[in-house]
Amino acid sequence: MKSKKYSEALLKFFIKKGFKVKSFDNIIESKIIIERSGEIFKRSLLSFEDESGKSFSLRPDLTISACLDYLKNIKKGIFKYAYFDQAYRRTFGHDSLVRNQLGCEVIGSKDKKVDQDIINLIDYSLKKTTKKNTVIKLNDLNIFFSLVDSLDLPLRWKLRFKRHFWRPDYFQELLKRLSSNSDLDKSVFELDKKTYLKMKKMDQKKLIAGRSIKEILQRFEKKIREPRSKIEGKFISKILNEFLKINCSLKKAKLTLEKFEKKYQVNLNLNKINIFNFKLNNKNLIFSTNIGRTAEYYSGTVFEIITKNNNLNLASGGRYDSLMQVLGAKKSIPAIGGAINYNNIKN
Amino acid sequence: MSEILKIGLPSKGRLKDETFKLFQKNNLKIKETDRNYLSSIKNFKPNEVVLSHAREIIERLSDNSIDVGVSGYDLLQESLPGIKKNISIAKKLSFGSADLVIAVPNAWIDVQTMADLEEISFNFKGKTTGKLRVATKYPNLTNEFLLAKGLTQYKIVNSLGSTEIYPFTNQSEIITDITSTGSTLKANNLKVLKDGIILSSVACLLVSKKSLKNNNKSKIIHKLLNQIKKL
Repeated sequence: MKSKKYSEALLKFFIKKGFKVKSFDNIIESKIIIERSGEIFKRSLLSFEDESGKSFSLRPDLTISACLDYLKNIKKGIFKYAYFDQAYRRTFGHDSLVRNQLGCEVIGSKDKKVDQDIINLIDYSLKKTTKKNTVIKLNDLNIFFSLVDSLDLPLRWKLRFKRHFWRPDYFQELLKRLSSNSDLDKSVFELDKKTYLKMKKMDQKKLIAGRSIKEILQRFEKKIREPRSKIEGKFISKILNEFLKINCSLKKAKLTLEKFEKKYQVNLNLNKINIFNFKLNNKNLIFSTNIGRTAEYYSGTVFEIITKNNNLNLASGGRYDSLMQVLGAKKSIPAIGGAINYNNIKN
Repeated sequence: MSEILKIGLPSKGRLKDETFKLFQKNNLKIKETDRNYLSSIKNFKPNEVVLSHAREIIERLSDNSIDVGVSGYDLLQESLPGIKKNISIAKKLSFGSADLVIAVPNAWIDVQTMADLEEISFNFKGKTTGKLRVATKYPNLTNEFLLAKGLTQYKIVNSLGSTEIYPFTNQSEIITDITSTGSTLKANNLKVLKDGIILSSVACLLVSKKSLKNNNKSKIIHKLLNQIKKL
């Protein structure tokens, strides 16, 4: 089947299930993304300025475009998006600037069944279109977040691990640092302590490069109060590394995780996790703690659909309940979506 | 392509002085020019010396309007991939060594490492600036380094000079800058983070790759490079 036919066939399945094919604005105001996400997105945006100096960008990603469309045009209720269009991003010499994106998103639905429905729909449409047997890999990022919460770590380290779960290389660097370095450099500590005592006597509201003296001293005191031994750090690194290796059938996942909880005396809040109860039509189901590490905005259920024969990724997606707020919504709006790996389908 | 070898050399400062000394000690006599930005080497094959800003030398090597040039490794690395790919490093020289570093105010005693910086960057969210602002003349290298060290919540402020005062004039909170001894940073109440060295730089003798593809030009370039032995 030719690539265009694949995309048309897949979109037809989505339309049958009530999804509406939408096309999005090609150009978006850069500040919508930059002000909220910082430089990480900015550097990949293809931007330009108009004569008034206002910066605009070509749309970098269609999930973001769907969210912006929802905020601008739909505003409330449930909307089911389907799309096949182009997104434009800098690739730093690795790939083409233009990416074909085929996907679907459900925004605004609080129904917990949506997760299983969208996975079933994507899997079914892929099977019918490509005639290939598939395997669904699942995870819920809340299991990882619960694990981190129950570890004996200073809060700042817990936040670090949560913030950087989606960046596997940097995450490994953090684990290494946890098991080797100390948070305080003793050689400079004595010098800083003198400055600390001086600063104690100063006006606590005074700002130094945007930070009040009070804020600086409080954090300094907190660092001293929360020393972390190398031995504890090594043990915690071991727990996290072992957790990220869990890979088993979905049937055995709950039991495996319960054993893990007992072994390391941690609480994974498994009673709050829905993926164990999903009713999925595909019987090839794998649970893996290491998936969902590709996008910063995932917040709960994450999935990948691969071919059974050669583990080729056909689709991936997940829940991103906090992205809408990042893009400007006043409150959290539930959302879940999936993107078809278009290059692997057409090949 | 012209057979006159075009050489780009720094037009001012210590980099210019050291480059001229380098050519002199390798018996390459550059004509005295006073305030003229065009010169030549008296005792070498037909050539033209263009005195330019070190950043411009990189650009001109890339678009092949000069064949050989002296500039900083930092400036080469800062340039965009499309420019960098057209230039090759012929020799690293023995002068112009300096580090591009991340510096924060001395009074930030709770911030010693990049991990500390990453953590406090989230505290700027509710503040008027909205993001931790990083002033720099090196936005590309700074971005690459900060993102590799886990920082995402920051904003680059492009600076053209006197970057060291930015944190104390509400133009930025921290800076990245090039420093050889660290004395200017110290004098401005700034400290370098423990793991805050972005890049160690040195002056380099650079060659335009396109010139190397031209046989005649390539021969002249290699003759020049062979003559510059005493670094």
